[in-house]
Amino acid sequence: MKFASRLLIVGAAFAVMFAIGCSSEEPTATPIPPTATAVPQPTATAVPTEAPAVETSSSVAPTATAIAAATSTAVAEVTVEAEAAMTAEETATAEMKEAEAADEEEFDSRRGGVFKLLGSDPTTLDPALTTDSTSYDIVTEVFGGLMRLTDNPNEPVVLDLAESFTVSAEGTVYRFKLREDAVFSDGSPVTASDFKWSWERAALPETGSPIVKEFLGDIVGINDIVDGNATSASGITVVDDHTLEVEIDAPKPYFIAKLTYPVTYVVSRDNIESGGETWTDDPVGTGPFVLKSYEIGVELVLARNENYSGTPAFLDEVRFNLAGGSAMAMYENDEIDITGIPQAAYERITDPNEPISREVVDVPPEFVTWYIGFNTESPPFDDVHFRRALNYAVDKELIAEAVLGGRVSPAYGPTPPGFIGFNPDLETLGFDAEKATEELNMSKYADADSRPRIVLTAPGTGGSPPAWLVAVGDMWARTLGVDVEFQEVEWATFLEEIDNYRLQAFSLAWSPDYPDPHTFVDVLFRSDSQINQTKYSNAEVDRLLDEATTEQDPARRIQLYQQAEQIIVDEASWVPMWWGTSGKILVKPWIKDFNISPLGGYFLKDVWVDEIDF
Amino acid sequence: MLIYVSRRLLWTPVLLFFAGLFIFSLSSITPGDPAELMAGQRADPEAIERIRDRLGLNDPFMVQYLRYISDAFKGDLGESYRYRGRDVVELLAPRLKVSLELNIVSYFVTLIIGLPLGFWAAMRQGTWKDPTATTFMLLVYALPVFFTAPFLILVFALWLDWIPVSGWSGIFSTQAILPAVTLGVPGAFVFMRYMRASTLDVLGQEFVRTAHGKGMGHMTVNRRHIARNALIPIMTILGFSLAGMFGGSLIVELIYGIPGVARLSLEAVFQRDYPLLMALTILGTTMLALANLFTDIMYSVIDPRIRLRA
Repeated sequence: MKFASRLLIVGAAFAVMFAIGCSSEEPTATPIPPTATAVPQPTATAVPTEAPAVETSSSVAPTATAIAAATSTAVAEVTVEAEAAMTAEETATAEMKEAEAADEEEFDSRRGGVFKLLGSDPTTLDPALTTDSTSYDIVTEVFGGLMRLTDNPNEPVVLDLAESFTVSAEGTVYRFKLREDAVFSDGSPVTASDFKWSWERAALPETGSPIVKEFLGDIVGINDIVDGNATSASGITVVDDHTLEVEIDAPKPYFIAKLTYPVTYVVSRDNIESGGETWTDDPVGTGPFVLKSYEIGVELVLARNENYSGTPAFLDEVRFNLAGGSAMAMYENDEIDITGIPQAAYERITDPNEPISREVVDVPPEFVTWYIGFNTESPPFDDVHFRRALNYAVDKELIAEAVLGGRVSPAYGPTPPGFIGFNPDLETLGFDAEKATEELNMSKYADADSRPRIVLTAPGTGGSPPAWLVAVGDMWARTLGVDVEFQEVEWATFLEEIDNYRLQAFSLAWSPDYPDPHTFVDVLFRSDSQINQTKYSNAEVDRLLDEATTEQDPARRIQLYQQAEQIIVDEASWVPMWWGTSGKILVKPWIKDFNISPLGGYFLKDVWVDEIDF
Repeated sequence: MLIYVSRRLLWTPVLLFFAGLFIFSLSSITPGDPAELMAGQRADPEAIERIRDRLGLNDPFMVQYLRYISDAFKGDLGESYRYRGRDVVELLAPRLKVSLELNIVSYFVTLIIGLPLGFWAAMRQGTWKDPTATTFMLLVYALPVFFTAPFLILVFALWLDWIPVSGWSGIFSTQAILPAVTLGVPGAFVFMRYMRASTLDVLGQEFVRTAHGKGMGHMTVNRRHIARNALIPIMTILGFSLAGMFGGSLIVELIYGIPGVARLSLEAVFQRDYPLLMALTILGTTMLALANLFTDIMYSVIDPRIRLRA
C-alpha cells in the first residue's frame, strides 16, 4: 500500500515535471498569433490607386499566374526576370507558354512522394473558426478564397479563385470576376453564390466565428448578421455565376489583403449542410490538398487535390504525425522529414564535421515583434516619463546578442523591418542610461517609496521567466533602481488576465495577419480597438489611424501610419524587444523546395521529393 | 460476499458524484476561460460572450453541475471544448485502449521480473547475491523515465536500428518493447522488495519448517508453501499499482509518441477542456474504486481465512 501510493505519487510528480519540461517550448509558439505569408512592400498591394475603376487584372493577373504556374524556383526566376525586363503583355504570355511547357515535363519528374512531419491537432478545420497557426497551416492547404498569399516579397497578395477585380471610384465597391475553371475538390464548380453563402455563414451567430467582424465586418450588412439581426448581407451581390460584387462601409485599401485569411475562404454548402457539426471530417475545399484522413491525436493525412484549379501539388501525400514523440530521434530514424533543432543538440548538429550538418537549413527571420507591454492606466505605468525611463534603460542590442544568440534583431517599434510601412527613420528610445535617469527623475515615481509594486507577467510554464526577461529586470534595477517581480502563468490564464486588463506589465509577441500596417499599428494601439492590451489612448494617434484607414494614396497612407507609430513609440506603452527569430531546422536531403516564409507559414504545394538521389 | 460486492458497487456512484463535484468546482475556481481560449488572441469580447453562452458557462455553478450529472447518467459525458462537435467518449475510447494496452504489457514486464527476482533474492538472503540484486534494481528504479527513455531510444532505435522510435501498433509489435521496458522495469523493484519481504516472512513460519521436516522436496515447499503464501500481501497492491501506473505512463507516452490518453489529458488541462477533464477524472476515480474492490475480493480468494461480510 505504501509503495503503491508512492508509485502513484512518483508517477504524478514525473508527469508534472515532464509536462512542465515539454511545454516550456509551447508558450513561445502559442502567443504568436496565426500567421500567413508575405514580405510585402508598399507598392505591392494589389490595390488600385488614383484612377477610378482600374482594371487590375492586367497588372496583377499575369504575374500571379506566372508564379502559380512556375513552381520550380528556376523557372520562376526566369519568368519573374522576364516580367521585370519586359512589361509588354504579349511577351509575358509567350514567356508563360514556355514556362508551362517546361512545367509539364518538370511536373512529371517531381510528382509523387510522401512528406512526413510532426504536427499537433488543429483546433478546427473550419475556415470560419481558424485563428491559431496550427489550424491555419492545414486550412490554407485544404481551402482557398479570392486572394492568397505568396512567398514572393514583391507580390505578397495574388489572385486565387478571383480572375480579376475592379474597384469603384469611391473605393467602396469591389467587383470580383471568378475563375471559370474554379472547382471544389468534389468537382462541383465554385460560383459567386458560393462566396456569398460562405461569408454569410461565417457571420452567423451559430457558426460562432470569433474573428468574422475583424475580417469581413467591413462588408455592408455582415455585422448585422453577426449580431443576429439579419441572415443576409446587402453588401454582397451575386451579379452572375462568376461575378461577385462586394460593398464595404468605407474605402479601406487593406480590405483586399484581408481576403487571404481563412475566415474569408469559400466553403461548400452541400458539404456543410450534409455533414452536420462534424462536416470538417470530410471537408470540401479549393486548396491544393484534400484531407485524406484524420485520426485525432494519431495522424492527419493530406492528399493531392486532383481537382485543384491551379498547378497541382507534387506530393502524393503529406502525413502529420500527431502522436508526438522525440522529434530529434524520429528525424534521425527517418520517421519524419523535418524538425527543429533542440538546444541540447545544437552544437553537435551544426558541427561541420558531422554528416547531419549538411541537412541544416536556415529559416529566415519571421515577421514578429516581441515586446513588453505596460497597462497605461495602471500605476506606475500611467506616467509616460516612467515608461520612457524603462525604455531607455534596456540595452536591447546586448540582449539580442548575448542572451538570444544573435538570432534576433533588436526592435525599436511595432512594425518589423521588411514589412509594409516599416519606418527606417523612426526616432527610437534606444539604450541611453543618462536619458533613462533623466526621465525617471521627471516622473512622479522618481522616489522608490512612491512606486507601487511592479509585477511583470510572462506566458509560459517553464517555472522561471525567460532569461531575456530576467536580463531586462536586471538592467532596470542597475540603471534605475527599479525592482520588478516576475511571474509566469500558462497561456490559458495569461489570456484571461490580459483580456480583462488585469496585467500591469507583460511580455508578448505579435505577428501580422495580412500584409498591411493596419495589422500592427491600428489593431494594437487605436484606443477603441478590442485588442489594445495596453489601454493606450491618444486622440492624435486615433485621428491619424482613422485617416489612414480610408486614405487612397498608398504613399500618404504609409506616412500616416508612420506618424502614428512615431507618437506611439514616443509614448512608450511598449518596450519593443526584438524582431524576428531566424533559426535553423533540419530537412532531409530528399525534400526539395520546402520554404518557410517570413510569416512562419509554408506552401506544401511547392514541396517535392527527390527520389533519384537517395 | 455477493451482498458485500453489490453494496460496494452501489457506493461507487456516490463516490463519483462527490469526486466529480470536487473536480467540477475546480474548473470554476482555476483561472483561464475556455471560451477565451477557443476565441483566440484577437477575438472581440462579444464573440467570447457568445461562446460562453453556447457552452452554458454563464449558468450558475450548481445548474451546470446538475446538468452535467443528468447527462452523464444518460451516458452523455458532453462534447469536448477543444474538439468541437466531438463526443468526449468518442475521443477517449481509442486513446484509452492504447493506454490500457501499454499499461498491461508494462505490468506484465513488471510482474515477470519483480516477483521471481524478489523470491530469488529472499532465498539467497545472507549471500552477496541478495544485496547486489536489490541495489541494482534500486538503481534502475531511481533512474527517471526522461533519462531511461531517450537512452533506450538512442541505443536500440538509433545505434542498433532495431526498433522504431515512435508510434504504437498494439501489444505484439516491436514498437511496444521500449515503452514496456521503460515503464515496466523500474516498477519491478517495488514488487521485488515486496516479494522479498513477504517471502522472508513466510520462510520463518512454522509451517515451512514442518513441511521441510516431513521431508517434502525443496521445490515443492518453495512452490506450494512459500511462494503461494508470500503472494498474498502482493495481491493487495496489484490493483492499486495498476491504477497508479496510468500516472507514470503519461511521460512514456509523450516520449515515445504513443497516442494514448497522455497527450489528450495534458492538452485538456492547458486548453481548459473541462468536459474531457471531467471524463478523465471520473474514469480515474472509477478505476481506483474498482481496484480497491478487486483487491478486497482477491484477499478472500487467495486466503481462505479472510471472509468478506456485508
